[in-house]
Amino acid sequence: MTRVLIVDDAAFMRMAIRKVLEKNGFEVVGEAENGEVGYQKYIQCQPDVVTMDITMPEMTGIDALKQIKKYDADAKVVMVSAMGQESLVREAIMSGAKSFIVKPYKEEHIVQTLQSIATA
Amino acid sequence: MAPGNIDESLLDLFIFETSQNIEQLEQIILDYEKESSFTADAINEIFRIMHTIKGSAAMMMFENISSVAHKVEDMFYFIREHSADDIDYGDVADLVLESLDFIRCEMAKINTGTSADGDGAAIAAKIAASLQQKKDKYQNEQQSVTAATADNVVNEEPITKKLHNYAANDENIPVVNKKTYKANIYFDEECQMESLRAFDIINKICQFAEVVEYQPGDIMDNDNSASIIRENGFEVVFKTSGSYTNIDEFFSKLLFIRKYQLKEITEASLPQTEADVTPKIHIDDKTEQKPKAAAMSTAAPADNHTAPVATMINVNVVKLDKLMDLVGEMVISEAMVVENPDLKGLEIENFSKAARQLHKITCELQDTVMSIRMVPLADVFQKMHRVVRDMCKKLGKDVKLEIIGEETEADKNIITHLSDPLMHLVRNCIDHGIESEEERLKNNKPKAGKVTLEARNAGNDVLVIVRDDGMGLDKKKILAKAKKNGLLKKDSSEMSDSEIFNLIFIPGFSTNDNITEFSGRGVGMDVVTSNIEEVGGSVSVESTEGVGTAITIKIPLTLAIIDGMNVQVGDSLYTIPTISIKESFFPKLKDLITDPDGNEMIMVRGQCYAIVRLHQCFNVKSEITDFTQGIFIMVEQYEKTVCIFADQLLGQQQVVVKTLPRYIKNNFKVNGLSGCTLLGNGGISLILDAGWFTGMK
Repeated sequence: MTRVLIVDDAAFMRMAIRKVLEKNGFEVVGEAENGEVGYQKYIQCQPDVVTMDITMPEMTGIDALKQIKKYDADAKVVMVSAMGQESLVREAIMSGAKSFIVKPYKEEHIVQTLQSIATA
Repeated sequence: MAPGNIDESLLDLFIFETSQNIEQLEQIILDYEKESSFTADAINEIFRIMHTIKGSAAMMMFENISSVAHKVEDMFYFIREHSADDIDYGDVADLVLESLDFIRCEMAKINTGTSADGDGAAIAAKIAASLQQKKDKYQNEQQSVTAATADNVVNEEPITKKLHNYAANDENIPVVNKKTYKANIYFDEECQMESLRAFDIINKICQFAEVVEYQPGDIMDNDNSASIIRENGFEVVFKTSGSYTNIDEFFSKLLFIRKYQLKEITEASLPQTEADVTPKIHIDDKTEQKPKAAAMSTAAPADNHTAPVATMINVNVVKLDKLMDLVGEMVISEAMVVENPDLKGLEIENFSKAARQLHKITCELQDTVMSIRMVPLADVFQKMHRVVRDMCKKLGKDVKLEIIGEETEADKNIITHLSDPLMHLVRNCIDHGIESEEERLKNNKPKAGKVTLEARNAGNDVLVIVRDDGMGLDKKKILAKAKKNGLLKKDSSEMSDSEIFNLIFIPGFSTNDNITEFSGRGVGMDVVTSNIEEVGGSVSVESTEGVGTAITIKIPLTLAIIDGMNVQVGDSLYTIPTISIKESFFPKLKDLITDPDGNEMIMVRGQCYAIVRLHQCFNVKSEITDFTQGIFIMVEQYEKTVCIFADQLLGQQQVVVKTLPRYIKNNFKVNGLSGCTLLGNGGISLILDAGWFTGMK
């Protein structure tokens, strides 16, 4: 079972992603409300895949991604972005994000993306 | 509009979180509006919150909310990126607040289960226009700056170069013969951000091949590239020594791809590029991996895979209400068991022990449930900043709001009832109470008016005081108005100040001749009173002409369960809240006094107190009318004390407060009772309102 860490400052988004993932056979091993906590939970939970929001307080998703990649170059991080964040997504890809999904996303998008990345 | 099959818990969380975000955002705007500028942190925070609202609303398919939030986000993106000093922050604040009002209104619809069908186009267009204006202004300024310092423009490194470096930097790639491939890729229609998907693919190809060329070539710099890719697909040419099968497999695993064509091409058909870079291949991604296990072992124990437990959860208030009801029923049931008439006179030690334990646990449970339901008044108080701001802006007055004791807590349900009355009172203060600037200066008052919101605990009540330093209430005007409307019940000369002031709470009373948008429609103060009385509270007013007015709202801490002393009068049972009782005693005849008007009083330790005979008060038949045969209960409320005369005390007990049935409330004027309760033996006891007895309110 693929173990996922969800990093998003909006509790609503975390719940939305969690519901989709749990319904589709993923195990959500942790949630974090900002990049800093996300990084710490990555170390703590050692998830297979991370879904990472970009705009967050304390530490942004991009910075958290960089931290996580520094700690574990193999980390599989999927950015959760929104329209209008193209340049940030580009930065994330350059920094090692495996893929990205765009809000509002369809259930199958997030499932496919995570499945393909987890098995890669 | 959200589809019908939407997940309830998700919707609840959406409503909860978005409402919180709205409040938070409003507070930031109001705080910084005063400073007339936003700090970088504030701009980031506003941007972030709007981004969250946009994203969540889009997920729930509330497109009108999402699009308005998007526009505000755009505006703050611009402000953040172009830190322009000359932005009209008043205008920005107005737009954001207007947007928040729209979103709040839609949220209210969602909350009540109606469809959020408000049209956000107007406000969205307004923000877009304002943003365009800012952009134009900025561009004009930039053009003049650019003319002066042409080399000031940041030269961004072309992406292709970066990507080439990516491949070229990898020293471990073995050198083998290369082949050239061309791939045409067509993305899923709904994949969004096609140019970034293409960028991602190039990035991935760079890890095992050298990218020669791609079309469209300006994927990151041209805003239209996404739509070009959507229509014509994306083409990439690359060199690698990998086999066709391997590369085909790579493409087949890519996400969001509708179809792709991969073919090997000859060198001759290639355009002239810097293609003479040493051929490299790097398919086995794993060779460059850093030892993950080593990192893991130093950082965390291997078995530490459980997610940390969340310390806070959000719970639906309805569930808390249900829990409170159940605890209430349990308290009654406990009393029914422990005080069961069948047990009377029995010596049952083990039962008593068990009953004591049950009582202890019931009390703890009840306290815990109570504490869960307690929330600070801060939320309601903070909302008033917006009310004051809007009023000041519309009426052209300068009023400061001071908040004291916002950490004071009360039951969630009671606080919900407080919001509307408080808003009305604050509006009234500014509209009718605070004078115009000229008038204030003439009366040697500071130019800016002041409204103070204060909350504090008083016994098992919470006092909320709305105070202004305005002109105070005009007694003559109130009396004249009351007379005109036929509201006077006795001669005005016999009325105390407080009685006159209290006339403003009578339905239909309004002294302001100029009805404004905010107050003075004649439905005002009486609505305040009725809202507060609904939760068992009361409203009183004090005022000094020329100095100001203070309106005090008294609300109970909690509605549900109180400690009470049961007393009997004739066949009737009454419960007096224990918190109001100072003592109970049997009187001595010599202490009893009757004044020439026939008012009965009693001397206790040199102090004289009025006596209230419960049997007379409620017109109950009782054998015991002689003071020496009954008992006195001294009751204190608001520093006023009175001695209540009853037949006998029955004992102390926790009682669950139930409101009087609507039928009784509607048909009879009930004074002195705050509710009723069910006793352990199934009997009904009426709960006395100590405030009425002491102040005879």
